Amino acid sequence: MEKQDSNGKFIVPIGPQHPALKEPGHFEFAVEGEIVTGAAVRLGYVHRGIEKGAEARNWTQNIYLLERVCGICSHIHATAYTLGVEKLANVVAPPRAQAIRTLVAELERIHSHLLWLGVAAHEGGFDTLFMFSWRDRETVMDLLEMITGNRVHYSTNILGGVKIDLDDEKITAIRKGLDFLEERTHHYLKVINTDETFLGRTRDVGTMSRQQAEELGAVGPTARASGVPRDLRVEAPYAGYHEFPVRLITATEGDLHARFVVRMNECLDCYRVIREILDRLPGGELATRVPRRIPEGETISRVEAPRGELVYFIKSTGGDKPDRIKVRTPSLCNWGTVTSVAVGHKLADMPMLLAGIDPCFSCNDRMVRVNRPDQSQTWSWENLRQYGIEYYR
Amino acid sequence: MFRGILEGMRQTLRSFFEKPVTIQYPEQKRPVRARFKGRHVLKRYENGLEKCIGCALCAAACPADAIFVEAAENTDERRFSPGERYASTYEINMLRCIYCGFCEDACPTEAIVLGDNYELSFMDRAASIYTKDMLLEPVPAVDKLTPQSTPPGVFTRSVPEMKDPED
Repeated sequence: MEKQDSNGKFIVPIGPQHPALKEPGHFEFAVEGEIVTGAAVRLGYVHRGIEKGAEARNWTQNIYLLERVCGICSHIHATAYTLGVEKLANVVAPPRAQAIRTLVAELERIHSHLLWLGVAAHEGGFDTLFMFSWRDRETVMDLLEMITGNRVHYSTNILGGVKIDLDDEKITAIRKGLDFLEERTHHYLKVINTDETFLGRTRDVGTMSRQQAEELGAVGPTARASGVPRDLRVEAPYAGYHEFPVRLITATEGDLHARFVVRMNECLDCYRVIREILDRLPGGELATRVPRRIPEGETISRVEAPRGELVYFIKSTGGDKPDRIKVRTPSLCNWGTVTSVAVGHKLADMPMLLAGIDPCFSCNDRMVRVNRPDQSQTWSWENLRQYGIEYYR
Repeated sequence: MFRGILEGMRQTLRSFFEKPVTIQYPEQKRPVRARFKGRHVLKRYENGLEKCIGCALCAAACPADAIFVEAAENTDERRFSPGERYASTYEINMLRCIYCGFCEDACPTEAIVLGDNYELSFMDRAASIYTKDMLLEPVPAVDKLTPQSTPPGVFTRSVPEMKDPED
């Protein structure tokens, strides 16, 4: 985003390397005393060239590569990709596979929201809640390890279905874990709604109106906390969400507190959906055959990641490798809300505001676009070198 | 205010009597789950022969390009695995490996299995390359070392008859 004009203003730079940041990102807050008058974000420190890397690997290998776009919402990336490729190949995964995909996605959502609750509480100086929520997150990570083998990168999806199956023993364990988590989530809801110190940090902080949220293109729980009814699981159901519908959870306040409430209520809905899936788990095959070469075509695949809408663009030229894969992660959409909402708040509220959108830096570092006067997009090596020399002069 | 402190202290007191959720890691270890994907192990048959036939399908499948396989011919005098060929070189770069388990899926003889070991650390980058000796399962008995000398015409089939995998 635009570099700020610094004349007459005091600018507090934070990052890219900073003890308070978990991931590298650069922020510039223009302040007048304690009050922030302008904010800018600079991203791109953890660009890994995954999209380009995907072009060199075949369709199956890319599942594992794209799963590693994000460390928290790994399954949903693989789901978005496999759903897109299945659409291109004209294959539909069997109902049991779809249900298991949905189940893992919902468990992952619980994991992500509980992790976020801890991080956000920590940024607000409420480390007790951080410790408690991360302890309880272990429960869901344990369940995921039991059913998929890994705590983070689950490798559940294959093209045309899933790799893993559920048996009675696992189903009983999941139910037991959910009962515990549900009880804890009710407790957290009570804490975030009643604890005075915490309410002082969250209520009426970072308030974003519905109109603002719509204009800035906010997605996910950030948008839903401002009353925007936007959830792909409801609007455009994919995988198992046709059969196991979720409730749209919104709040109207639009402040940080509303985001906490929305995310915790979403967790409660996740428990309901998972129980429903376990009750009515369809039988049958786990996977269908998908050809090694995917027919020529282009497709857009949209799914609801824990942080919001995730979009994949997949283009095939009929070979065993994709021609182009473009990923648009939800964190990127939400950055605009931070920089515009930050104005008028205290500098001390910034960590909470940043954490409020649940940012994932390595997710959103997708592409580096260099602005040049003639707006051309292709750079020769010589030009780039010259640009670098000029820049650092 | 005072009530709040009391309530907090009650919580603290209660957790004195709860079972701790943490474990003393290096001394105490948590068992891994059945599907856990840890460090690779190259399996052997009961007679000591290696399951790996050096087909390099794992290397072709690997999304991270971490596996290097070189095959050589078996003879009845110097037999490493059933069938015609065996892996004379088998190397996995543990720094490249992403532990996705796709090599396990690709293996036609179930030779490579992602095991339970998650304690991988190296003093330098060269040490991250695990060779075949490090990956192979230990030999069950001394007389079952590879290479073995085997009667001709017995081990002609490189891929064994297999039933559906259980897990």
